[in-house]
Amino acid sequence: MVSIKATAMVVTLTICLLAADTSAVYNECCRRYMKTKIPFALIKGYSVQTLTELCPINAIIFHTWKGKACTNPALKWVMDYVERLRNKAQIVHNRTSKLQN
Amino acid sequence: MNYPEDDQSDYDYGNYTYDNYTYGDDWVPPCSYQNNNSVERVVGPYIHSIICILGLVGNSLVIVTYAFYKRTKSMTDVYLLNVAVADLLFVATLPFIVYNELSAWSMGPVACKLLRGSYSVNLYSGMLLLACISTDRYIAIVQARRSFRLRSLPYSRIICAIVWTVAFLLSIPTFYFYNWYEPSHIGQIHMLEGREQNLTHILDDFLYKGQEENLTSRSPHSVCEFRFTDNNTAWTTKIAVPGIQLSVGFLLPLFIMIACYTAVIVTLLRARNFQRHKAVRVVLAVVVVFIACHLPYNMVLFYDTVTMFQLQSCGASDSVEVAKTVTQTIAYLHCCLNPVLYAFVGVKFRNHFRKIFQDLWCLGKRYIAPRRFSRVTSEVYVSSRRSVDGSSENGSSFTM
Repeated sequence: MVSIKATAMVVTLTICLLAADTSAVYNECCRRYMKTKIPFALIKGYSVQTLTELCPINAIIFHTWKGKACTNPALKWVMDYVERLRNKAQIVHNRTSKLQN
Repeated sequence: MNYPEDDQSDYDYGNYTYDNYTYGDDWVPPCSYQNNNSVERVVGPYIHSIICILGLVGNSLVIVTYAFYKRTKSMTDVYLLNVAVADLLFVATLPFIVYNELSAWSMGPVACKLLRGSYSVNLYSGMLLLACISTDRYIAIVQARRSFRLRSLPYSRIICAIVWTVAFLLSIPTFYFYNWYEPSHIGQIHMLEGREQNLTHILDDFLYKGQEENLTSRSPHSVCEFRFTDNNTAWTTKIAVPGIQLSVGFLLPLFIMIACYTAVIVTLLRARNFQRHKAVRVVLAVVVVFIACHLPYNMVLFYDTVTMFQLQSCGASDSVEVAKTVTQTIAYLHCCLNPVLYAFVGVKFRNHFRKIFQDLWCLGKRYIAPRRFSRVTSEVYVSSRRSVDGSSENGSSFTM
């Protein structure tokens, strides 16, 4: 009898769990790269996709006015862009910290 | 690949008219696996809850039968009980996994490790135990002379202990490398704000979340997936975990089952027994159902593992994910079919099973009956207990 009660409870729990409101989940991954270069002017920022997490390849994702773009971190122009974005940030950081000091 | 050298033109974004700039098909956004998401969201919960309920009922009945009616007398009994336990644990974790997959792993890091880990342990133990059952049947039927020595009860308990230990050891990478986190390529976006004004740029370690319009509405979204500290471990483990699952969790039991059951069928067909055809059909059903349930998923898993690191289009990778989701559901179905294929085909088992229903009916009467009839119903209960059980200590478990 105990096991029947337990089963009934688990079944109810199952239905409750699965009927619960579930939000949309989007796991994005780059699976290939852009073959052409993006103009630097389009870029708003970047993020890094690494093989060490859930995605199977490394990639630099540039966030542009046209949307996200997957690029190959092995390419020179890609890392140049990243470097340029970092430098810009560094310059602003320096200016801001000078102003505040 | 040849890329034009970086000319200064794109620095000069004041004059640049990127509105006219069209990439056509060459613009490569990250894949969002939309088809797989819709399959998971619509089909997943409903089919999984059916599997879960069927699996809970079927495997609970097997366990209840062994616990209260049928003492584990033979090697086969021990294996069948262990398979039922493995399958029951598996279907019990299933709704939690489905819920978490759909709710950005809202149950947190401990649930992540426990659910992924126990999924793996139950998968391995279930599959290896099915292989054990096939060898047990091979010894009983083909090597009948040696069977008294080899099919002893302590021997089978040792084998089950080994199976569970091996299943646990094979799941250590899963326990260790599955982590609960927010993927950095989704959660950490290094933005340059106010591009035109050339004003507020930020440092890498100074993250602005939700700068983009589509990010503002996004709540932190966690996953329960592999995470590694270095690329080499990532490479090896991402290949090794599905590789071991394919070889030890599918191919090894498959080969053992095919070898053992082929010998069993050959022996049965030679025998002069009028029930042999029924036995052959049962054996064939066991093998056919195993292959039908697990072969599609393992083929997709193999294809996915082999092509994982190759560059592919979003359409192709989405299709593979859909195929994986669908075939995995078919593989889960095996948990509900095991009680039918292994336990309930036995005549003795069905008799015990009938007794359970008789007892439940009597108990039901006892509970539903009003208080004033309690003496009468308890007499009915006691008499049923005597007639059905034979052994009194089993019946006492039902007095609760």
